Amino acid sequence: MSMRSQVYEWSNLQANANQLRRTTNDLPVAVTANREYDIFTGGLGNNITKPAETTATQFIVIEDIAASPLIGGAVQIRINTTDYFQNPDVTDMSGIPGLASPYPRGANSSIDTALLTAAAVGTQNTLKSFDLYPDVYVLPGQTFQILYSSRDGTTALSTQIVSCFLKYTLYDGPDALIANKLLELGVTINPNNVDWYKRSLIEQQQRSRAVAGGPQ
Amino acid sequence: MSMRSQVYEWDAGRGTAMTALTSIGQRISIFVGGIGNNITKPAETTATEFVVIEDIAVTPSLGTMSSLPAALTVRGLLTGEGADGVDNGIAGPRAYVQVRINTTDYFLDPDNIPNDGIPGAGSPYPRSINFQPSFNLYPDVYVLPGQVWDCLVTFYSDAFAAAVAVEGELQCFVKYTLYDGPDALIANKLLEMGISINPGNVDWYKRSLLQAQA
Repeated sequence: MSMRSQVYEWSNLQANANQLRRTTNDLPVAVTANREYDIFTGGLGNNITKPAETTATQFIVIEDIAASPLIGGAVQIRINTTDYFQNPDVTDMSGIPGLASPYPRGANSSIDTALLTAAAVGTQNTLKSFDLYPDVYVLPGQTFQILYSSRDGTTALSTQIVSCFLKYTLYDGPDALIANKLLELGVTINPNNVDWYKRSLIEQQQRSRAVAGGPQ
Repeated sequence: MSMRSQVYEWDAGRGTAMTALTSIGQRISIFVGGIGNNITKPAETTATEFVVIEDIAVTPSLGTMSSLPAALTVRGLLTGEGADGVDNGIAGPRAYVQVRINTTDYFLDPDNIPNDGIPGAGSPYPRSINFQPSFNLYPDVYVLPGQVWDCLVTFYSDAFAAAVAVEGELQCFVKYTLYDGPDALIANKLLEMGISINPGNVDWYKRSLLQAQA
């Protein structure tokens, strides 16, 4: 289990302030416009115990990020103190819009908070326009944040539920060392290439044994 | 029949139908949890079996808004309420599915603490225009010979039409390949060699053995 596909889902649902994990009594809470919320330790919605970071023997490859296509939501990746997505003039931006990378895929892009019927949730199906390729690497010892922000914020009339989704692969132990090696070689880090590197090491070992006349 | 594609579908409304308010927030084994359709014993591999889990999915959910009352049908899902009976604006059961091998949970949060698993909104079952997958289980999950495995469903919203779940309200789906006998041995060999275990690679290994023999 040294390469594992992982996901993290965040929503503005909570029963108490600074809540760890989900509970059965969670309710939607307001999202302030133009404020960045760290989905791991931002104090809003479900959080984890400490900032997301890799240990010396871990390597993370972020493969997908998505957000609800509502209230002008967007999602940014921050590695240590550097934001990944920038404007062409190298100024800060809010990140990938939920409309470009929606979660769930097929979700509605608007909601009529004045209606109290099922029709409030429109009939649109938002599909993705964005693919996170190349992937984003979090090297051993780095801290990373996923920041959700909303241009409009939730309305006072009725709080919309918004979510963020993160998909990544965690390489641990020997596989993290191989991931580092692949990075040095300029080879894309994915499970296939890590397996390829392992195979090439085994083949190399077998060849050296054959040359030395030792056991196969 | 030594490599077989297999599926298992669990439904909280089948067999011993689930009472939502006693199961909400609990981890439910889809194999032997005593709720919904179950099997006779925990899922495990024998010494001559190797299982590769390729996909897991669960009933999706959709966040709407706080003022939407419970029991409305939004995109085929009922809006629900929390265990305290307060409307939460969530359509669907807000369900997650975790894979457990022996006593180890597969999906972790970034702080290395096991989480609830894959959200239904990320890997929905059934898939539809409204709910499409954001997640695919790659790399696959390997269950080695002699290991016990389980899929655990947790849901946080009481989005059910009645006190007892009916068919289709909360479902889980697992797709796996079962390698048996000589193919399980080959699967072990491929694992040692760092090669992904799939039917194509098992066949490739067999062919290379035959070629070496000829």
